[in-house]
Amino acid sequence: MALEDVCSFKERSVQHKWFSFSSLGDAAIPFPMSDHYNLRYSRLETSENNCGVPLHFFIPPLPHSSSFIKRPLSSFCPPKNSMTVQRPFRLAHGTTTLGFIFQGGVIAAADTRASAGGLVACPAVHKITPIHSHLVVTSSGSGADCMLWERILIREIRLYQLRHGHRLSIRATAKLLSSMLHPFKGTEMCVALTLCGWDNGPKLIYVCSDGARLQGDVFSVGSGSPYAYGVLDRELRWSLSKGEAISLAREAVFRATHRDAYSGNNVDLFHITAQGWSQRKREDLKEEYYRDKEKKGKKKNDKLK
Amino acid sequence: CTRAKTLSSPCVLFGQRALQNCSADSSEDPFLTSSTLPTCLPFASSQSVPLPFPMAHGTTTLAFMFQGGVLAAADTRSSCSGLVACPASQKILPIHSHLVGLTSGTSADCALWKRILARELRLYQLRHGRRLSTSGAAKLLSHMLHPFKGTELCVAATLCGWDGGETGPGSRGETTKNQMTDLFYVCSDGTRLRGMLFSVGSGSPYAYSILDQGVHWGLTVDEAKSIAREAVYRATYRDAYSGNCVDMYHITSKGWTRRNREDLKEEYYREKERRKHEKTERRDVTFSD
Repeated sequence: MALEDVCSFKERSVQHKWFSFSSLGDAAIPFPMSDHYNLRYSRLETSENNCGVPLHFFIPPLPHSSSFIKRPLSSFCPPKNSMTVQRPFRLAHGTTTLGFIFQGGVIAAADTRASAGGLVACPAVHKITPIHSHLVVTSSGSGADCMLWERILIREIRLYQLRHGHRLSIRATAKLLSSMLHPFKGTEMCVALTLCGWDNGPKLIYVCSDGARLQGDVFSVGSGSPYAYGVLDRELRWSLSKGEAISLAREAVFRATHRDAYSGNNVDLFHITAQGWSQRKREDLKEEYYRDKEKKGKKKNDKLK
Repeated sequence: CTRAKTLSSPCVLFGQRALQNCSADSSEDPFLTSSTLPTCLPFASSQSVPLPFPMAHGTTTLAFMFQGGVLAAADTRSSCSGLVACPASQKILPIHSHLVGLTSGTSADCALWKRILARELRLYQLRHGRRLSTSGAAKLLSHMLHPFKGTELCVAATLCGWDGGETGPGSRGETTKNQMTDLFYVCSDGTRLRGMLFSVGSGSPYAYSILDQGVHWGLTVDEAKSIAREAVYRATYRDAYSGNCVDMYHITSKGWTRRNREDLKEEYYREKERRKHEKTERRDVTFSD
């Protein structure tokens, strides 16, 4: 698989094991890396059970999984394996992402800071990724894991579309993603995605590597999420206009970046409607901070007069 | 059983648990060890009693300064891991007529330390003929809590007070604040911070975002009350460990005034009605861009 070559997954001495999803119940049967489509499992491609989607994905053999990719340790996954490599820093899930539904569609917003313990690893990360013209996904958790799973999801959705001539619904996408993430439950992988999209109506579904899959009207994920929730709960209404919704999302992310140390820098905003997604220009929140400070100072002076 | 023996000693003595460990035959003669207490310095780390349940610091308390004084608000739920131990506890404790303390952390520790602080402040007033300033009270509390740093004592108190003219002029040189309100956050891990806005507890992030939006110096009293109430309500809405009612105290030069405790359940149902009304609207409306 090209993606796998790009990521250069290399084992110490253990051979790559490819598991097909349906064989998880049986004893694990390793088959050689070069033979991607083993004849034995070719019927999966046209099987009715899983709509012809071959859920081929690799699961690293668990006891040795820690050796090749330095993934930060998740503080929320229970450590099932005792053999783990020393992490260089503690994973903090530092982010603020949010999504909500209103009369004009779905709004997805996120900050752009990638933190690694106390360091701002990157101040300009894209946490919202479009999957297809009517679906974007906001990511939280481990940045590397999220990027990988977004690419896998894009590939699977595209393959489904090519095979069946119609696009997979968002609820089915969420279910697919959830079942793809399921084998990794209990490992250090940490992915919390919010699918925001449109298919016969606005949809917002939260999928997490712990196994949660929830549909709702408003979600906020990450260390800055309580701050965003306070603002969103207060002002979110179904009847908001597009401008009001955008400014509410922006305000919620701004308040979270103001108080949370692991969120900050810029805000990304996507708006999804029946016509597809549209992205607002990335905005630096530093300007907003100074404007807010000035506004409060002005109010103070006004009252004193 | 050693605990029962020490209860008969006359007054609250600092660090007594630590000293039981440092004596050679600790379980034998607690009376001997307690009599040597005044001369010994208490040790910072003591052998701890295993807690019956994990502490959760479940609460939402907030306080901020504005032109009309200081406003303090808190929820009333006492939680004990998953159980609501008391739905009507009091987290805002008046210390004297012009000083109010908001408590967070272990309720038992907070109640005790509030009483100790009240006693010490009253003694100071009787000895020196003037009231101790809020800053002094915060410092006193911080120093009294210091020997317990590293133990399971958990007190996070926010002191809100008005310092009258007796504490001395010109203690703060800022011209915009021509009043003597003060707001301090004191914590059992040693933190002591002065500020304009504090919120403490598991529900504090939810409250902070509302307060950051709306609090500024020029608020009227009614606006301030409504924003404090909204902030506590939003925190109780999302946080499992905060809830039930909201208490509000307003401190001015005339002392503290207490607003009637308000049950947030009513507010929750009012909002639910509003949202239900919206949902029926939503079904009727076709999706527009």
